[in-house]
Amino acid sequence: MSDDTAFYTRRQWLQATACGFGSVALNGIAQAAGGHNSGKPHFKPKATRVIFLFMQGGPSQIDLFDPKDYINQRHGKPISSPLNKNLLQVGTEKFLALGTSVPVRPRGESGTKISDLMPNLASIADDICLLRGMNADNPQHAPAELQFHTGSMNDVRPSMGSWISYGLGTENQNLPSFITVHPQADVRYYGSAFLPASHQGTKLTVDSKAPIDNLSRVSPSELIQRQRLDMVQRLNRRHLQSSQNEAGMQGMIEAMELAYRMQTTTPDLVDLSRESKATLELYGIGDPATDRNGRACLLARRMSEAGVRFVQVTMGGWDHHGNVRGNLPGSCLGSDRPAAALVKDLKARGLLDETLVLWSGEFGRTPWSQDLSGTSPIDVHGREHQPQSFCAWMAGGGIKPGLTYGETDDMGFHVTSGKIHIHDLHATILHQLGLDHTRLTWRHLGRDYRLTDVYGNVINEILA
Amino acid sequence: MHARRFLIVIAFLSILPVLQASEKPVDLTREESDFFEARIRPVLVRYCYECHSSESKKIKGSLRLDHREGLLAGGETGPAVVPGDVQQSLLINALRYDDGLEMPPSGKLSDEVIGNFEKWIKMGAPDPRTTSSSTTTASLKSKTVDIEAGRKHWAYQPVKKYAVPAVSDTSWPIEPTDHFILASLEKAKIRPVAEADRHTWLRRVSLDLNGLPPTPEQIQAFISDKSPEAWARVVDRLLASPAYGERWARHWLDMTGYADQIGTSNNVFAEHAWRYRDYLIDAFNVDKPFDRFITEQIAGDLLPWDTAKQRSDNLVATGFLVLGDIEIVNPDKLQLEADLADLQLTKTGMVFLGQTLGCVRCHDHKFDPIGLEDYYGLAGIFRSTRSVEKIDNGIWSGITVAKLPESPEARQKRMNAASEHARLLDSLKESKDKLTRQKTDMEKAAGKMDADKDALKKKEDELGRKMRGVDRRTRHAQYFKPAEPRAFAVSDMPSAADTQITVRGNAHALGAKVPRGMVRVISWSDSADIPDGQSGRLELARWLADEQNPLTARVTVNRIWQKLFGEGLVRSVDYFGTRGEKPSHPELLDHLAMQFMQGGWSQKRLIRSLVLSRTYRLGNTADAKASAIDPENRLLWRMNRQRLDAEAIRDSMLAVSGELRVIRGGPGMPLEFPENSSSLEPKAVNPPAYSLVKFRPEQEFQRTVYLPVIRSAQPEPSNLRDLFDFTQPAQISGRRSQTIVPTQALFLLNNNLPRKSSIALAKQLLNQSGQNDKRLAELWLRVYNRPITASEMDEAIEFLQQIKVSGQMAGKSGDNPADSAISQSGDSSEILALIELCHALLGTNEFIFRQ
Repeated sequence: MSDDTAFYTRRQWLQATACGFGSVALNGIAQAAGGHNSGKPHFKPKATRVIFLFMQGGPSQIDLFDPKDYINQRHGKPISSPLNKNLLQVGTEKFLALGTSVPVRPRGESGTKISDLMPNLASIADDICLLRGMNADNPQHAPAELQFHTGSMNDVRPSMGSWISYGLGTENQNLPSFITVHPQADVRYYGSAFLPASHQGTKLTVDSKAPIDNLSRVSPSELIQRQRLDMVQRLNRRHLQSSQNEAGMQGMIEAMELAYRMQTTTPDLVDLSRESKATLELYGIGDPATDRNGRACLLARRMSEAGVRFVQVTMGGWDHHGNVRGNLPGSCLGSDRPAAALVKDLKARGLLDETLVLWSGEFGRTPWSQDLSGTSPIDVHGREHQPQSFCAWMAGGGIKPGLTYGETDDMGFHVTSGKIHIHDLHATILHQLGLDHTRLTWRHLGRDYRLTDVYGNVINEILA
Repeated sequence: MHARRFLIVIAFLSILPVLQASEKPVDLTREESDFFEARIRPVLVRYCYECHSSESKKIKGSLRLDHREGLLAGGETGPAVVPGDVQQSLLINALRYDDGLEMPPSGKLSDEVIGNFEKWIKMGAPDPRTTSSSTTTASLKSKTVDIEAGRKHWAYQPVKKYAVPAVSDTSWPIEPTDHFILASLEKAKIRPVAEADRHTWLRRVSLDLNGLPPTPEQIQAFISDKSPEAWARVVDRLLASPAYGERWARHWLDMTGYADQIGTSNNVFAEHAWRYRDYLIDAFNVDKPFDRFITEQIAGDLLPWDTAKQRSDNLVATGFLVLGDIEIVNPDKLQLEADLADLQLTKTGMVFLGQTLGCVRCHDHKFDPIGLEDYYGLAGIFRSTRSVEKIDNGIWSGITVAKLPESPEARQKRMNAASEHARLLDSLKESKDKLTRQKTDMEKAAGKMDADKDALKKKEDELGRKMRGVDRRTRHAQYFKPAEPRAFAVSDMPSAADTQITVRGNAHALGAKVPRGMVRVISWSDSADIPDGQSGRLELARWLADEQNPLTARVTVNRIWQKLFGEGLVRSVDYFGTRGEKPSHPELLDHLAMQFMQGGWSQKRLIRSLVLSRTYRLGNTADAKASAIDPENRLLWRMNRQRLDAEAIRDSMLAVSGELRVIRGGPGMPLEFPENSSSLEPKAVNPPAYSLVKFRPEQEFQRTVYLPVIRSAQPEPSNLRDLFDFTQPAQISGRRSQTIVPTQALFLLNNNLPRKSSIALAKQLLNQSGQNDKRLAELWLRVYNRPITASEMDEAIEFLQQIKVSGQMAGKSGDNPADSAISQSGDSSEILALIELCHALLGTNEFIFRQ
């Protein structure tokens, strides 16, 4: 088996573009080169698409889903630290318990516990599977986010969406198979690394004028732009003849046409004017608090419906180092309605069964308080990062609805049962898509790489 | 049959005595037995056996917990249980979920259960279970690496001297390289294609050596030079150009994880990183011998020096070890050190040796004859090196900084700057005082009965804004005061010593101590002795740069080959291990490696001989017969076409439009603008950070290598890097991908860079000549570096006409700010047509590829 550096033949290129997004890598793309996947599932899938709602910053699970009597009873009082003594801390030296100020109650028939801060999610409690034993390895944003997206805390590895695109191919030749709405700055979170570039995420904003970079034409009229493109293509085709149909040359000619088409198809895709008023309202579009996230979630549904394999929507604002009680309601307000609307909408359209929705941050927050000033009263303290345990939820895609899975200790620090490490989460998502995480590999530097590295177990207990 | 075959099997000596000692059965007292059976065995069976017993499908971490020997011997890196010593027993750490080692993974066991295990270990860990079969012994034996057998892999064999092979067509070869290439082709019965024309060759060699296309004058000079020396004259000019260093230093930066940022979290700026970049550019330009180049980067701080410049270079060079994605925010400082050592040795292994040493952090290499002993032998060297230190910001660390020697002139300059700086601080203080007085006056006014509240509020806001501005400028001035030159550099720790194995890379879970040393399978003699109190970096550097090292020269010449010919002789340029690719021309590779070492490790000399070869002159034309035999062109019957990398695309656009400005070196990050940084207060919770909102005006026109590199995403004006396969600055890679995706096409169609370049280019063409055909000829020469053909001329004229008509139809031209230049000129439709033509050309394959 050759490495991923193999040179490219036209036949390989045709194969590759058939399963990518009108794209070609001059080196290292052919399925035959480094990859072992045919672009088909390994076994019968439960889901065909994923929508990942990424709550960047680390939502406070103890305030939202997993309240603790032990902490509430000791609010403002010192508790004993379960932390590893090797770690430096800032603002948490006093180790004060920080109670939950807004009630977290059992909801629906399932009794899934959800905070009053998330009334919309509470209304679909029986549709989601709450994961309370989430576990990651790094307490800092950048490496933790990288691990959540790529399985690795450093290094440059393909992101989850890229692996899925590579594993399943695209369902729509005119759309990327992986779209990420409002991503953070780090391109690694949606990069394809050593996988073919056709599997990288395309970033999108809900701004209808410029949803994708460089989409607005610079020529003074449509006609002139087309005439210029025709000239480009004439020159390219003549050049192609002289090089006898080299893959890269041909690839760029097609990429040019696709780029041109995207100038009209993309604004159409992000144009929500034809959605019903009821739908817009459902997502909170028009309400300043929810408009941006609402549009993003509605777009996610539309793109998913159109066949995009992996759509990610990033919603930030969860990094509450200070005044978590004061700031958490705002973060919930902006995201609760759009996220719940997405599940409701998918369900109403009969798409929820085949669409796996995941809601998660990169980690959770400590049950004890953080006060960077050292002098603030307890009620305006925040919480520090906590990868040891946190909460996420999934819906649809063959995941058991109405289930609460995983328990943490009295304090809400260690997982005591139902632990799901990031690698397990990745393995489970791939499993629902009909992909065996141990078989979805790409050879790079002599080694077969996986999303789950050498780890990961499918969590069968949460499968319907 | 193999009577004289010796296998040197190096086992972990710490494990063997344990095995021997525990072979006899153990007698337990009744009490011990009861305790074990009631409290310990059920837990082990229930929670541990799935992964750590004969029942396991795969024994995780080579750890067996279903017999006493397994517990005592432990896993890959150390005993799980030390009878009587709870602190030293890894099993307890794991059960307590301490130190990142968390077992069982499904969830932490209750304190009661963990307490029972502690009690049991204090009792001496009585355990009636003995080795049930020979599997333990077998699994332990597999933990050894067979170095002698491993040496058989071609890349670990010494570099050999080969005679230049004979060929039938003796008129073809120019350089010795050509003999090797032609001999292989003749053997495969392939005829190489014809040479490329002179224009194509000149464009190729200019882009490859300088990263810039030739100018019309340079083209003219070469085309009219009829002497046989014409090619050599061009190559010598290109190698002597400072642009050569700017091009090739960037290739090297791809292998360092370079960024103007430390780590990835919180946008922490790497204030001194640019010095390493400038050091590289200079090193390539002066053709620093590669063995010296290695030594400076690994151990420059330990080298003697004659001049201040030399000392400065030596220190700056060690930036190689500390520029990269270092997690300085890691709150666990011991772990940070272990991770950094891993980064350093992984980088060193890949860059100089083409080995994946990072794989060996947790276990022996799965494919290559490299064991934990090799990894931790090197890790000891890097753990003995000071690279990071705790800083005064929250939990953060920083990269260690060294003061550089200062020339008397520089010192004088700094003194002058310092007095100017003092004046600046004074004037800022004055402004602040003035604003404070105004505020006091205003507060007094507000107290009066007849105060106009709205006007006062407005004034108050205004004052507040001004004061914040002054504060920001003051903080900025205080932070960036004129200082002695400094660089990120390493030094030896006074406590330099051997290091211990870390279990699964966990810095707190320690296994056996390993003596420092080099990678055995690559070594030709016993490892050099490392003097007491020294890290061993100097010995490492010498070992890497030794002519007996089988890998360094091969890996290096292969990467140079790849940059010039598109593919390496070994295509897996960063991996020469057993699963890497075999060389297409093993003898040529050795020939080049040998020449390289014997020619004083001169990169310029090597590059010169390669680009003057016949092989490098070949055209890119197709050949059905050759394609049928060698479809991947492994034998180089023609030149491989390459897409320009991000830097060459941007630099070429600026160059052909005449916008490129020669501004060499210096900080890439424009931190002199106060708005570009934050968190400058002493002892802030987070370290000083950048927020790049303003660039120097000239940065828009500077070569891409000098623009700041950001680890998360590339800033304007170099964000095309992210579209065109820039090596992520968290990655170490000797090879860039060459992808084609629609977002690149969108860039070429609509981005400001090609648009602005087209406008500048069109204006110059208009100024240069009144005649259409002269303009077009000039355009073709600038962009494609060749004469325009007659049919292209017709097509271009027709296109210009077409756009003129469309332009008039579109009415007032330009709804893009970049096009405002158009309306300023006389005949707007004429210049628009020319802009569109220039823009078309800059978006074509012929421009973004080199043949």
